[in-house]
Amino acid sequence: MGRGASSNSIPEIERARFLFVIGSNTTEAHPVLALRIKKAVRDGGTLVVADPRKIWLTKLAKRHLQLRPGTDVWLLNAMMHTILTEALQDEDYIRDFTDDFDAVREVVMRYTPEDAERVTGVPAEDIRATAREYASERHAAIFYTLGITEHACGVDNIWSLSNLVLMTGHLGYESTGLNALRGQNNVQGLNDSGANPMYLPGYQSVDDPEIRRKFSEAWGAEVPETPGYRLDQMMSGLHDDRIKALYLIGENPAQTEPNARHVEEGLGKIDFLISQDIFLHDMTRKHADVVFPASSFAEKDGTFTNTERRVSRVREAAPLPGDAKGDREIVILMAKALGAHWPEYPGAESVWNELADLAPAWYGLRYDRIEENGLQWPVPEMGHPGTPFLHAPAPARPPGRGKFFPVEYQRPIEEPDSEYPLVLSTGRTLYHYNSATMTMRESGITDKQEEPFFEITSEDALALGLGEGDWARLVSRRGELQARTQISDRVFPGLVWMALHFAEQKVNWLTHDVGDPLIGTPEFKISAVRVERV
Amino acid sequence: MVAFTLDGRSASAPEGELLVHAAARHGTFIPTLCHDDKLDPYGGCRMCVVDVEGAPRPMPACATRVAEGMVVSTNGPITEFQRTLTEMLLSEHLNESPGGRPNELRDLANELGAEAPFILPDAKREEYDDRNQLMGYDPDACILCARCVRYTQEVMQCSALSLEGRGGHARIVPTWELSWLDTECELCGGCLSVCPTGAIYEKFEEGTKQPERQLEQVRTTCTFCGVGCQIDLNLDPQTKHIVKVTSKDEYLPNEGNLCVKGRFAFNFVHHPDRLTQPLVRGDDGELHPTTWEHAIETAAAGLKKVIAEHGPQSVGFLSSARLTNEENYLIQKLARTGVGTNSVHSCEST
Repeated sequence: MGRGASSNSIPEIERARFLFVIGSNTTEAHPVLALRIKKAVRDGGTLVVADPRKIWLTKLAKRHLQLRPGTDVWLLNAMMHTILTEALQDEDYIRDFTDDFDAVREVVMRYTPEDAERVTGVPAEDIRATAREYASERHAAIFYTLGITEHACGVDNIWSLSNLVLMTGHLGYESTGLNALRGQNNVQGLNDSGANPMYLPGYQSVDDPEIRRKFSEAWGAEVPETPGYRLDQMMSGLHDDRIKALYLIGENPAQTEPNARHVEEGLGKIDFLISQDIFLHDMTRKHADVVFPASSFAEKDGTFTNTERRVSRVREAAPLPGDAKGDREIVILMAKALGAHWPEYPGAESVWNELADLAPAWYGLRYDRIEENGLQWPVPEMGHPGTPFLHAPAPARPPGRGKFFPVEYQRPIEEPDSEYPLVLSTGRTLYHYNSATMTMRESGITDKQEEPFFEITSEDALALGLGEGDWARLVSRRGELQARTQISDRVFPGLVWMALHFAEQKVNWLTHDVGDPLIGTPEFKISAVRVERV
Repeated sequence: MVAFTLDGRSASAPEGELLVHAAARHGTFIPTLCHDDKLDPYGGCRMCVVDVEGAPRPMPACATRVAEGMVVSTNGPITEFQRTLTEMLLSEHLNESPGGRPNELRDLANELGAEAPFILPDAKREEYDDRNQLMGYDPDACILCARCVRYTQEVMQCSALSLEGRGGHARIVPTWELSWLDTECELCGGCLSVCPTGAIYEKFEEGTKQPERQLEQVRTTCTFCGVGCQIDLNLDPQTKHIVKVTSKDEYLPNEGNLCVKGRFAFNFVHHPDRLTQPLVRGDDGELHPTTWEHAIETAAAGLKKVIAEHGPQSVGFLSSARLTNEENYLIQKLARTGVGTNSVHSCEST
């Protein structure tokens, strides 16, 4: 389609008439956005949830497609199979606004709902019904999160969803589209701002010599031509001497990355490690050479960009503790010390203006326009009102045509076997946030959830001799941990689930680090494990 | 559009608009207590009643829709009714502000010049306590408007709160009289945010000496999750500490709604574990506090040494979604122009 962002806006959700939520536990990961989904259903909209777990939203759903982890491509191809077999596609849209439709037709015609039922576990009739409802409702919107992307086939999954959207023309108007719900507060902005090896600010490709020249001139310093390493390449580079120094800003890869013990070993090997953070954690205590005490969100000015591309102000409210400094100031001090010639940046706004001057889709977005509510990019000119939904009147991909990518099913990297008979999937809970350095320090919240736990069905628990609340050991090829048993009908037999928030028992000791071949996103959602009594 | 008469003037409104909204658009503010735009029309407290010609009794403006030719009076004898109603509510309103939150009933009483004529002998209701640390409830401040119960049912669509008991014994309780921690309650605090009298309040603000209106409010964007809720950090003006988080209905995209993290997980900001000094690893292998000058020098020297020995490509930067756009912009600029590498990424790049 041509944009790495949600196509539509949060307020539009409540007017959608058909909502397809796939791989998103919205009420826990995006609780306030989920209120709009709840409202849409209360106002008569139809909700279908596709998820291996019986998440809260399934209570409101007309149908729960409880697919086996990693079989999304089968499910989606079979939905497209139904759409084409029953001639529910939007021929006009396909003709006028897309390329390469025939390639997808050829592939999906081999994915019948009956075969899909055998692979996914979802009844063929449910797949057909969902396809029909989705294709025939104009205000049909798709929402996905990391259940789609955190797979070795994550890019395939997104292409499948994109094919489904293009085939039905559900793009470029209100209350529809393909909506990636960004997991973290400023993931969108992090990438928009160019903290990405492939892109300079505003998704301008580092590979393009013209773009590099533009930035080199503006910055008065040469932008390097050599391609940068992605996160997964940096992590493997810790072990093979490609990476000798790492500067971590608000990051702890020994908690958040797959096969985390291996990551920590790597961090111990390199020559030099800088951590800029608000807390010291075990990893930095052991391995960091320099630690900079930095700022929390309440102590700084600037902007965050949310999942609907809305750039909103962040404002300094509280003083920094002790001798801590703002992250902006620290980075500027480091630039000086490294000999970079930067202009004076008197405040966050001056930095923003430099970004907006260099990134065309942000050019018209200035602080004086977002004092109240934020604006949604693209905002290409000064008076531009912002863009609540993308791809209107045509897909953003030049020359206004979306591209179909045929996708074949790939098996997950690691499947259960006799030694590791269970599938482990991971995720977030409502009460904590990522590595939980912030939320575990809030006793009113840990009252609700403090100890590491994992979900398992009563059948599997019984077979293992585990009762509710019993401590159990989870073991994978990479490592092991202990957690309390939570008997739950949210998972199905053969599937266990654990949240990523527990620093003492990190689920990423268990996960594997073989990611998507194109973008390197790890397969956090599927690892093979065995569970033992302690 | 339909034409109607409001206090003797001709007015117009989209057909079916609630009278309370149509009047507001014409500059006439009808007081409400149980009404909340997030909730279905309810008409429970009768504070917003108006006279409608031909209607057998006063009608609640928050639950009556405008119709063609309707003749509405908001400023006649009906205001006497509002004053009496306010006085009735005040006569059992024993505790005005248990947690320092704003009190719409008290504001209304001041505006109407209403005072409690007496305190009802059975006004005192059974006290209520709960082991959760976030939300408190004082039945003596509650006017039983049920905004909180309706919020849980209509907005959260969960079964967390109920109205229990009758008459003088009525109060709000978590469903089945369980603890708030043991019901479906997700601790979002939505009930507290819609309560008009502050009867449900931040428990940690119980008996506060700084009512909400004396706190400084700084609007910002929440740091948990990609929804980007707009919040007001409420700061004690002396200590500059965040004492609570609130939001407003006009804020986009959340329209005043928050979740448990956004509303209650702010104490990490002032936590004693916060790093307050730069640290540099010494020859003894331990981290030691130092000056900024030394820390920056050490960091720059360390990077320069690695660059000299292994080239700029051997340095990696991992940035974070906790940081602002401006900080991320500077970090990638530092990687590219300060070190000379494009290797800048984060764990949240997906």
